[in-house]
Amino acid sequence: MISPEALILVLFGLSAGLVLLLVLRPSLTENRNGKILAFVGLFALPILCSFVGTSAQMERSKQTSFCLSCHIMEPYGRSLQVDDPHYIAAAHFQNHRIPTEEACYTCHEDYVLYGGIRSKWRGLHHVYVQYLSKPMNPIHLYVPYNNRECLHCHLGARSFEESPTHTAMHDDLVSNQMSCLTSGCHDTVHNIGGLDKVKFWNGAPLK
Amino acid sequence: MTAHNPMERWLRIAGVFVLLGLLVEVLALRWVHPAAFLVFAFIGIPIAVMGIVIYLYSLVSLRGSARRT
Repeated sequence: MISPEALILVLFGLSAGLVLLLVLRPSLTENRNGKILAFVGLFALPILCSFVGTSAQMERSKQTSFCLSCHIMEPYGRSLQVDDPHYIAAAHFQNHRIPTEEACYTCHEDYVLYGGIRSKWRGLHHVYVQYLSKPMNPIHLYVPYNNRECLHCHLGARSFEESPTHTAMHDDLVSNQMSCLTSGCHDTVHNIGGLDKVKFWNGAPLK
Repeated sequence: MTAHNPMERWLRIAGVFVLLGLLVEVLALRWVHPAAFLVFAFIGIPIAVMGIVIYLYSLVSLRGSARRT
């Protein structure tokens, strides 16, 4: 089975080969078939490649390895391997409550209409801050974490709905009046400040 | 290797741009780095689009000049 990446490379190779042929032998375009070939090579295929490539880039930017390729994110990646169930990000990652290959994106995407586009826009802002401005120290979210992202999966789940604590504050949680990350609840998320004092579990390598 | 008429010369220039754009795009696709998307979207695509525009412009302008003569 050929992987999508290989297919994309084949498409790019085919396009580049055709364009190279036209650059080396432009006289091919003198007849009708050559003109069609030029239209395909210099118009249709490059546009198709750009669309397919953009789509591949979008998909790849969801991957955990992509987020962690930025140096500043390294401790956040390490926090996913903390051997402590109270570390909520680590517990989700290690127990496969989220897809491990898209761990960052799954929890930090906005689960609303056009949320994916908003996330990508935020990603571009991260790059802008990294290269043309000054990253926050310590870095933190631009806006408080929205319960909507947790409830996208947990709302309606038995473990959430049957918990007396959750039942007591159900409406406040759903309306985002009270954060899931409130002190005393799920307040240990990445806690990168304390990573030098915790044990690590190496059973799920970051990918 | 030399282009004999203006159309062939423009095709060659357009082809070089498209080729360069595709090369940048494919390199950005292989590069696992946050800046890869920027290189793809803001360098690779514009270079390829420039080649496409040169190709389309050559079609329109050379056909127009051929009609006038």
